[in-house]
Amino acid sequence: MNISTGLLEFLASRTKRTWEPDEDLFASGVVSSLFALELVVHLEKAYGVEVEGEYLSLENFRTVNAMEKMVLELQAATP
Amino acid sequence: MTDALGAARALLTDRIGDLGDEWDRAGAVPVALLRELGAAGVLCAQLSAEDGGLGLSSVENGELTAHLGTLCGSTRSVATSHGMAAWTITRIGSRKQRAAFLPRFTSGELAAVAFSERGAGSDLSAMDTRIRRDGDDVVVSGEKVWITVAAYADLIVVFGNYDNGSGDGAAAVVVPTDTPGVEIERVPDPMGCRAAGHATVRFTDVRLPADHLLGAAGASLSLLVSSALAYGRLSIAWGCVGILRGCRQEAAAHARSRTQFGKPLAEHQLVAEHLAELYVAEQVATRVSEHAARCWDDGSPDQVTAVVLAKHVAATQAAAGAARAVQVLGSAGARDGHPVARAYRDAKLMEIIEGSSEICRVLLAGAA
Repeated sequence: MNISTGLLEFLASRTKRTWEPDEDLFASGVVSSLFALELVVHLEKAYGVEVEGEYLSLENFRTVNAMEKMVLELQAATP
Repeated sequence: MTDALGAARALLTDRIGDLGDEWDRAGAVPVALLRELGAAGVLCAQLSAEDGGLGLSSVENGELTAHLGTLCGSTRSVATSHGMAAWTITRIGSRKQRAAFLPRFTSGELAAVAFSERGAGSDLSAMDTRIRRDGDDVVVSGEKVWITVAAYADLIVVFGNYDNGSGDGAAAVVVPTDTPGVEIERVPDPMGCRAAGHATVRFTDVRLPADHLLGAAGASLSLLVSSALAYGRLSIAWGCVGILRGCRQEAAAHARSRTQFGKPLAEHQLVAEHLAELYVAEQVATRVSEHAARCWDDGSPDQVTAVVLAKHVAATQAAAGAARAVQVLGSAGARDGHPVARAYRDAKLMEIIEGSSEICRVLLAGAA
């Protein structure tokens, strides 16, 4: 399963609704900043990356596409 | 119990023993002892071995924190802040910053985390503290209040608004307390955790090399603060387990040894109810804290809400439980210098710090 599909499934299971890959999670009001921290923890566990330092920007969690891009960057940078 | 946890528990028991009440009345824990405990790794025992720590799991660190919470709430409070400072650097710092700062946490140096200001308690978006880049430096200006451990600290992780000239955002900076422009003034006579070194800290154009600015500079304030507070909240929850453990032991021992109306207090049903409710409170606080710690160890996203739940439930139970313990002991416990009187004062603070009970309820409502 690719990252985008996995994230869409995770979001659906946590928020009880479906999402589009480019949909703004925070603008919807459904996703809080506390939920953003849940996303951080999920990404680290599911994709074996460390979301540290400069990556802790809400912009990186605003859409599924943004999260996928960040995970791919982090995976590429992992030694 | 692992060898590392057993050794850490034994060290705390040996060094603290029954001195918690003496330190509470004096308003200070001997700094040399705190440095010894820090160097032994027990004040941030969850720090990985790679970063110089004991590498305990969250569940193990929780049990150690509960033990410390039973012995001395002030020293537990020091461990909560010191551990939260280490966790903050782990979470939002870069690999290079981890390597630079984290070994200091197990070298005998002490650390604090600074969030609150006079106009910014529960609402940290109202912070006035400014953190700005100036060439190869970073400059910190502002005032923080009620900073636990600050009176003892060598390092303070300071949160503030990041002023980089290109928009909103927050940042955290690691500030050595011997830097020019740092002024520390103890909070006189705090209600609880009296020996935890609470202080007001003023930063007047404090200039540091830019590598002291943690890597997430310019990030979301709420995400940074939530990340940092996660450790502190779970540590508080376990500290409350320790308070309840101590209160249950003191109340039960007193109720079984003191006789009134021809039989032990424990055989009077209204007193027995207090003992039963203390047992329930301790068990509830322990189970909810264990659940959060297991989520943490498993890397489950459920940890975020579980930590808030644990903090809220354990703090509420500790405040109510400590009041019951004082009631059972009566005049025997109603004086400074008795563990249940100290627990009663310490427990009330637990409902206020690291997210008040009201803020926790707001967060939990969002998870409903």
